[in-house]
Amino acid sequence: MKQTLALAIALLGAATPVLADRLDDIKKAGVLRVAAFDSNPPFGFLDAQTRQISGLDVDVAKAIATKLNVKLELVPTNPANRIPLLVAGKADIVAANFTVTDERRKQVDFSIPYFASGQQFIAYKGKLQKPEQLAGLRVGVDKGTTQEIYLREKYPATTVVAYDDTPLAFTALRNGNVQAISQDGSKLIALLANAPDKQKYEVAPFTLSREYQAIGLPKGETRLTKLVNETLHELEKSGEAVKIYDHWFGPTTKAPLPRDFKIGDQG
Amino acid sequence: MPDFLASNLDYLLWGNLAHGAPGGLLLSLLMSVAAGIVASALGLAGGTALVMGGPRLRSVLKTLVVLLRAIPVLMLIFWCYFLLPILFGIDIPGVLTVIAALAIINAAYLSQSVQSGIEAIGRGQWGAGLSLGLTRWQTLRHIVLPQALRIMLPSFINQWITLIKDTSLAYVVGVAEFTFVATQVNNREQVYPLQIFAFVGLGYLLVCGGLELLGRRWERRWRYGAA
Repeated sequence: MKQTLALAIALLGAATPVLADRLDDIKKAGVLRVAAFDSNPPFGFLDAQTRQISGLDVDVAKAIATKLNVKLELVPTNPANRIPLLVAGKADIVAANFTVTDERRKQVDFSIPYFASGQQFIAYKGKLQKPEQLAGLRVGVDKGTTQEIYLREKYPATTVVAYDDTPLAFTALRNGNVQAISQDGSKLIALLANAPDKQKYEVAPFTLSREYQAIGLPKGETRLTKLVNETLHELEKSGEAVKIYDHWFGPTTKAPLPRDFKIGDQG
Repeated sequence: MPDFLASNLDYLLWGNLAHGAPGGLLLSLLMSVAAGIVASALGLAGGTALVMGGPRLRSVLKTLVVLLRAIPVLMLIFWCYFLLPILFGIDIPGVLTVIAALAIINAAYLSQSVQSGIEAIGRGQWGAGLSLGLTRWQTLRHIVLPQALRIMLPSFINQWITLIKDTSLAYVVGVAEFTFVATQVNNREQVYPLQIFAFVGLGYLLVCGGLELLGRRWERRWRYGAA
């Protein structure tokens, strides 16, 4: 019955295209729909105990929902679906380790960055020591990520194989389909920390580029963007940002990583 | 049962049902039943119209069927989910998108089975009905359809089984059905892809196999039972 009702409402609402301010829409609905990863610990992943999506990105999303005083609804996404979800209005914002690029700015807006990392690699121990060795290798990446684009552009001698998400790419590395996989260093360190067979692999000791991750927003939603930026600044000022970071990357976690970026460092 | 499977079993089978969000195998089944009922009803209506309708209605329906059969189900789901909101401002939730897409594609296929099922009944049957003073529709309803449905049943079972398996395509729009939640679990556990996806395969096999057996029983009962 509820489903039939939902269908009826969806059909009735069909005739009225949404042009109103998104911030007002969110407040009116009482729900903030956030696209988050479900397979990328510790940014967004399915928690084994609670069976809910949680992670660093989710904590940031929670802070934004709290600031708006609305309920948080998470929409699971993979890297390639992030922009379609925003453009199609299926999510209000994206909090999924979303790297800021000029190319993406053509389709979506970004908040100020709340995380920074660099492109790194996982390979079997000792197999990959410097960038020159990438030539001739098959490297697994996530479809639609900056790492994929960067490798294709700058390393034409490398064969890039694109997978739906990082754990799948890691499976390909295990099975010998690729010789290395590439992602943000922070994500790789966490992935490796969670791998039962981690002693066989290592994060290669070099970084290709510095990247900044931010909240993705629909184009032209200036009021919503402003509010997200304010929330991020407040998180840093109140010390909450450090707390969130330490909860996922602090010294006592499975994937300790020193914090070398503060919110507000990068416009 | 291995630990990693036991600890994820409830999530694989019914998702976050406790939080009001059915998922996993349960959601796959719910979507299959909903899409199956709509597809069968539409298919029956469409197939009947292909036989009984006037030339204009028939050519419109035929074009529709040709179009629908030419679109991959995956594309149809993807378009409905991502493109309808952009083009027309229509926003349909993921689960409903998948049900609707599967329903109309399978209805297109079924209408063809229904049409050929009806046409397989000999002209003499029609003649007999009409000579008894029945109208065309009465002849269809009381004489032709009861026999034709029996001929169509295997095609219907076939199509329902295809439909059940096609619900796995819902992963493309992030609907938490069986295959999607298995991918989530696999991504967390990392080293048991073979076991997890073998379990998923077994799940589909049991459901589809069960339907197949049920279908055979119906066929047998119908064959020997009096019409």
